[in-house]
Amino acid sequence: MFWRLLWKLLRGSGGRLAVAILALVSCAMVVSALLNLEFDIERKLTQEFRTLGANLLISPRNAQITGSSPAEVMIESEVSAAIQSVKDPNVMAAAPFLYVVGSAQNTAVVIAGTHLEELPKLEPAWRIEGEWKSSQAQQTACLVGRNVAQQLKLAVGSSVSLTYLKKNAQLKVAGIIDAGGAEDNQVFLELAEAQDLAGLPGQISFAQLSVSGTTTGISHYAARLAAALPAYEVKPIRQITEAEGDLLSRIRLLIVSMIVLISALTALCVLGTMAALAMERRQDVGLMKALGGSIGRIVTLFMAEVGVLGAAGGFIGAILGLELSRWMGQRVFGQAISSRWEIFPWTIILTVAIALAGALPLRLLGKVKPAIIFREQ
Amino acid sequence: MFGRLVKESFVRNPRRKLLTAAALVVGMAVATSTLTIALEVGDRLAREFRSLGANLLVTPQSDTLPVEIGGVDYRPVNEGAYLSEADLGKMKTIFWRHNVLGFTPFLDVPIAIQQSENAAPTRTMLIGTWNAKEVPVPDGTTFKTGVSVTHPWWKIRGRWFRDGANECVIGAALAKTMPGIVPGKVIYVSDETGVNSVQDHSTLAKGTPLEVVGIVSTDDAEDKAVLAPLEIAQNISGHPGKFRQLFVSALTKPADAFSERDPLKMTPTEYDRWFCSPYISSIAFQIKTVLPGTEVRTIRRVADTEGNILSRVSTLLWIVTLTALIAAALAVAATSATTVLERRGEVGVMKALGATNTLVAGIFLAEQLLLAIAGASMGFVLGALLARSLGSSIFGTPASPRLILFPVVLGLAAIVAFTGSLIPLRRAAHFNPAPILRGE
Repeated sequence: MFWRLLWKLLRGSGGRLAVAILALVSCAMVVSALLNLEFDIERKLTQEFRTLGANLLISPRNAQITGSSPAEVMIESEVSAAIQSVKDPNVMAAAPFLYVVGSAQNTAVVIAGTHLEELPKLEPAWRIEGEWKSSQAQQTACLVGRNVAQQLKLAVGSSVSLTYLKKNAQLKVAGIIDAGGAEDNQVFLELAEAQDLAGLPGQISFAQLSVSGTTTGISHYAARLAAALPAYEVKPIRQITEAEGDLLSRIRLLIVSMIVLISALTALCVLGTMAALAMERRQDVGLMKALGGSIGRIVTLFMAEVGVLGAAGGFIGAILGLELSRWMGQRVFGQAISSRWEIFPWTIILTVAIALAGALPLRLLGKVKPAIIFREQ
Repeated sequence: MFGRLVKESFVRNPRRKLLTAAALVVGMAVATSTLTIALEVGDRLAREFRSLGANLLVTPQSDTLPVEIGGVDYRPVNEGAYLSEADLGKMKTIFWRHNVLGFTPFLDVPIAIQQSENAAPTRTMLIGTWNAKEVPVPDGTTFKTGVSVTHPWWKIRGRWFRDGANECVIGAALAKTMPGIVPGKVIYVSDETGVNSVQDHSTLAKGTPLEVVGIVSTDDAEDKAVLAPLEIAQNISGHPGKFRQLFVSALTKPADAFSERDPLKMTPTEYDRWFCSPYISSIAFQIKTVLPGTEVRTIRRVADTEGNILSRVSTLLWIVTLTALIAAALAVAATSATTVLERRGEVGVMKALGATNTLVAGIFLAEQLLLAIAGASMGFVLGALLARSLGSSIFGTPASPRLILFPVVLGLAAIVAFTGSLIPLRRAAHFNPAPILRGE
């Protein structure tokens, strides 16, 4: 009897049902899409912030204050062993650097030795004309800053000779870097070459890391790395980490508050629709009561109807919403946002709750005498 | 007759109208607040991004290669080209002068410091700069700028030096290696070359006395140097009125394919559009025009990150706003559809009494229009208030209401309420009055 009535109710209302379903589906869709987005947004944004370049610096504890010569150095193998041992998937790039002031064709220039293939990962904002690393390694490759190239009239493919004290190295320019900073005045070559030239085998001036994540995540990683490297100083580069943390929290606040606002207001709209649908059922309630139905049973029946509507709307809406958030991720970040299935039950529960809340006015009708309801229409 | 029917409908059953109106108010409040935030977010976030510091670097064009490690230039003072400090007021005369939030000149000099006149010297760098300098602008006003704008992450213990006073602040790392130096102490600063040539400290040229007023920590090369007013650095280096590097912090619009094009190859209209957009490239170009002989470079890390994130966040917000609009529209349309469906009986009576379909539709649509106007007006006010409080909680300053959005919201409400009732009305046109009146 109960189920037959329920079935009749669902089938009988025709257009009204379609309207209610439409409202519920759109609400569930927006809520699930935005929730899914919210879970993933931080990771996506922290990755974007890596364009800022290195944000962690490992340096000798008491680096000497002056000097155009390599003052204090670190042992390369110790540093790389520590970076290897403290594993973290958030480390986007790590590169050791050895700086010396030498000369290129009789002009004083800063020579930086590093792992050239790490540079584009460490500093994604740098532009290069040519290649990051020469593909045909007949001659040792180097990268020169824009200003160096201009000053020394170098082009991609030309060769340059570097001198440090008495030593000499012949290199081929693989690419010209446009960094918009001090790096435009430097020459980059493979670390081993630079160590050889400087006569400092196995030594580096400092190491830079680009670590993705929140401010706390980065400082945790820095602390672990510092524990593995007691002899050296590990510190976040404040210009970057501080601004990044601040901006990230603001952007998240912005998006979260938009999401809360939209979800709440959409839910309110749907509540109105459901209430309208429930009020329409007054006559049915009156009729059932006149036929001797207990008010508890009648209300349960209608709540069941509304609950089924909510569940169906929530289910369809959640699927559409996850699809929508995938599309949003593709559109905004160029990569899809992974669907989180735990959102699925929550969306359905929320939609059912909204639908039931909308049907609550029916309870009030229980007190009304059937005759009054009939006369009113 | 028509007007009376509409009026009666409102007076007789206000509760029914209330539901549609409430849905309209809430829906339009969503539309107004999300649109207000989305319109404002670009400007606000761009300003927030200035916490990354300067995004443009101005250097002399005919400069020799700077020998710079960790931000400090180790070139001898006599080498390389300099720029004139007196020209800097012109920075506030460019087309996008209001977008230039601040600029700070820098001059690095190798120095020797002594804790007392006869003490052993320590060699380090002196960085001459501005703390909060009043720069005279050619139009007669002054503009206050300095390191707090271009290097906001620098932290000071004590206080900053006053521009023009014989004061300095020292880097945290330097302070650690020289324990005698505390705020309030006077140090003696002289050109490093003096130390090289004279073996005996007592015959050293008398240094400039500077009072240490604070300890600065920057997590960069400045931690190992002394920061002093630009004038002091100019006097020690023997280049009065000159500087070597200028950091500029400017509000910009994210770069796109158009802004990356070479301005020399643009048509006059394109050139005007480029010149009149606050792209970083056009601001750089304008700075170069007022400061001839300079090279203006974009600090790529900062500018690119800002551009990427700004454009992504605003795209994201627009999409979210659009979704919110669609969801609100659907919910409102659903509510108006329900209220129309509810009144099938009424339609039946009207048609039985000889009303044409057009008249029935006209009455319903007029009602919906009235509701839409009322709902949209209230929703607009509510949405503007919401956007205000959202703006102040996110960015610290309330988002100003935009009246331009009112007609948009009004139109949206009308369209939504109309479309919501159109489908049930079309069905109502095919109603046969008899079964409806019989109550089927």
